[in-house]
Amino acid sequence: MFQVILYTQWKWSRVVVVLSVVVGFALPILSVQPAGASEPTRYDVQYLLQTIQSWSVWYAAFATGLGLLLATTAWAHDHRGRHVYALSLPLPRWHYALLRFTAGAVLMAAPIVALWIGALLATATAQIPPGLQAYPNALALRFALAALTAYAVFFAISSGTTRTAGYVLSIIAALFVAQLLLGAAGLSENIIHVLFDRVITWPGPLEIFTGRWMLIDV
Amino acid sequence: MSNVIETRSVRYHVGKSFEIRDLSLNVPAGSIYGFLGPNGSGKTTTIGLLMGLLRAHEGTITVLGQPVPGAAPRVLARTGFVPERPHLYPTLTVEEVLRYHAAFYTTWDWRRADELFGRFELDRSLRIGGLSKGETGKLMMLLALAQNPDLLVLDEPTDGLDPVVRRALVIALLDYVSQRDAAVFISSHLVHELERICDWVGVMDNGRLVAEMPMQTFKSGIKRLRVTGAPALVEDPPFVLLSRDTGETLGAGEVWVVRGWQTPMQQYFDGIGASLREVMDLDLEEGFVELLRTFRAPQA
Repeated sequence: MFQVILYTQWKWSRVVVVLSVVVGFALPILSVQPAGASEPTRYDVQYLLQTIQSWSVWYAAFATGLGLLLATTAWAHDHRGRHVYALSLPLPRWHYALLRFTAGAVLMAAPIVALWIGALLATATAQIPPGLQAYPNALALRFALAALTAYAVFFAISSGTTRTAGYVLSIIAALFVAQLLLGAAGLSENIIHVLFDRVITWPGPLEIFTGRWMLIDV
Repeated sequence: MSNVIETRSVRYHVGKSFEIRDLSLNVPAGSIYGFLGPNGSGKTTTIGLLMGLLRAHEGTITVLGQPVPGAAPRVLARTGFVPERPHLYPTLTVEEVLRYHAAFYTTWDWRRADELFGRFELDRSLRIGGLSKGETGKLMMLLALAQNPDLLVLDEPTDGLDPVVRRALVIALLDYVSQRDAAVFISSHLVHELERICDWVGVMDNGRLVAEMPMQTFKSGIKRLRVTGAPALVEDPPFVLLSRDTGETLGAGEVWVVRGWQTPMQQYFDGIGASLREVMDLDLEEGFVELLRTFRAPQA
């Protein structure tokens, strides 16, 4: 059963997976390009760290994009058929959703491994100045967790109906309206900022996306 | 178990515009049950409820002895379902869909699937999205039959298909039923199509089940009578007077459409001073139309 689910998901998202493997492999290698000098100066080290840090946003964006694309392709065909086929199969809904989720997570392993290999290769071939350390394993693990988190969030959203999406959007709209009303009433509370902060700082679920995605760091 | 499908006082509404009301169906085991009704009468919604795709707001549904939607997966494992609209993944090939579908059913019969493949002349390498309507219909029927189900639920399976494909599907269905003694619940608005194959009939209109009876009773009980000399008011007839067309006068007489007709009832007309000129059989389609006309007529 899982095999056929995995096969369909591979068929629907193979372009995404293959491109992600290429991007995942290339990203760490491209990020360490400045680490080429044989005797780096202090300026070179600073420049290297700045460059590595400037690339960090791409890892987070890549993890988000990968999660989004794999989650939406997992459900796109069922949405198109109004879920009739999935619902008429002889297994509980949670079981079907779990199979689809697991299949997407398995496919996600390919870009994660590609990024890990790319990171190992990049740090092995780069001239790392004294005092700096390479963190290919930590970066790959962080990427894996971020991609899985994004996948889980988007999978949950895209598994729902249009009505569910409407509820979510209504709640977000209500928050913005509430913020506007607070502002109009002369109150200084920023509820959107507070909520956003709760979500992206520990123990918020999206904390993994913030912070330093450094392949080479002190 | 005498009924493969039983519903009791089921109610389901879609917003305020449409409602299934007080639906109590009884589909006998081993029967071919024709579920008739005009477009928009609630047939597909009812099937959605029976298959556990929708959840009834009131009432109980039992299919193959199991409550639905509670035990829907167990019911679906023994039910071949052909929905109204093609629901298969359009990017997969026919072969891929077969393998996908087969993986979910422990009762899947590859020999039957291969036999039906040959009979339906389907190409395994074609993508589902590229199939014609007839080929899609054949494939959906093949999937339902190769599951070896105890119950087939078919929602307008031949709608929009040409007569050759329709015939092929009906023959495959009847072959299967004769081999396995499975029950069939088949919905359609093509009345004449069901007339030949069904032994039970249920009629839906505007979200309500307006009649449920053996096909033979339905066909033989509804007659068109030509009557002359009948009084304007008739009291306590032994049959159900569905309609009375007094438009034709002088000689030709009136046309009555009645239900529950039996030959000895001719004497009734002598009693009211009228004369029965002719008793005409109605086919299922005419009976269906008359039944709906009566049901829809404003009550006095």
